[in-house]
Amino acid sequence: MAKAFKYGLKGISGYLEPAERDLLRGLLDDVISMLESDARENEDPLAALIGLDMDVKQPSDRALLRLLPNVMKDDDGGSLEFRQLTERSVRENKIGALRAAALGLDKNELVLTPEDATRWSMALNDVRLVLAERLDIRDEADAEHIHSMQDWSQAEDVESYLALVYNFTTWLQESLVQAMLAARQAKS
Amino acid sequence: MSPSVAYGTDIDERTKAAEQSSTDVLTAPDIPWNLVIWNDPVNLMSYVSYVFQSYFGYSESKAHKLMMEVHKKGRSIVAHGSKEQVEQHAVAMHGFGLWATVEKAASGNETPGKGGRQRG
Repeated sequence: MAKAFKYGLKGISGYLEPAERDLLRGLLDDVISMLESDARENEDPLAALIGLDMDVKQPSDRALLRLLPNVMKDDDGGSLEFRQLTERSVRENKIGALRAAALGLDKNELVLTPEDATRWSMALNDVRLVLAERLDIRDEADAEHIHSMQDWSQAEDVESYLALVYNFTTWLQESLVQAMLAARQAKS
Repeated sequence: MSPSVAYGTDIDERTKAAEQSSTDVLTAPDIPWNLVIWNDPVNLMSYVSYVFQSYFGYSESKAHKLMMEVHKKGRSIVAHGSKEQVEQHAVAMHGFGLWATVEKAASGNETPGKGGRQRG
């Protein structure tokens, strides 16, 4: 069984079994490929160099739209213009955090620097956002319903399995954030 | 936002403490754009509070107060500034996975947080 992240003399540390590391690596890789999938072949190399993406569109996939939301509530034109300027770098930052977390999964004992911890929390959060869209979590009641599923013997179909995976990542992230908050307090 | 069962009591207690101890004087925006964070059922309350502390440099009690406003009212203005400043904040918030938008400040009476620490 995984152990909750904690803050101590070594910094922030955690422990994951090989099967849990495989599971997390799979989830991280899934989100990485979602974020990479739209890479275009025929794009203007100069635009790419300075981070512009004039062909970008609002994502049609809801999970991807949750990772890359519109920046204005009621202004699709303004949001699209903003996407052209910024979406590439948001994607790249997210992919960077997800890759760093995946690379850190090479042993059972995890010891995280403050920078590692930040990347891990971002990566786990993105994984949870994607799982939540797949599980159709729309409001707090949905979230509570999913949260009530804690028993792995309940894993009868894809949805219940996903729910249990979601709860595992939630638990892991909560313990990580508590450790990060404890590290912050220790410093101040 | 999603409170964790394991830490639920702790969060409730801290809410009360934050409400009692918060002495922040909230000032009206003098520059006309706001950064808004929207509630969602996925982001952990602790994580949202952590992001407000680590990115904006807000105190624990201020971060907690803004987080609770997002959770209870559905949205909160967490920073304001020029359009470029709040857009930069929005990019950072999207990086953290928070649901952030920018909007022109209305002359309404919604109380914003004091301006976020500017990032270089």
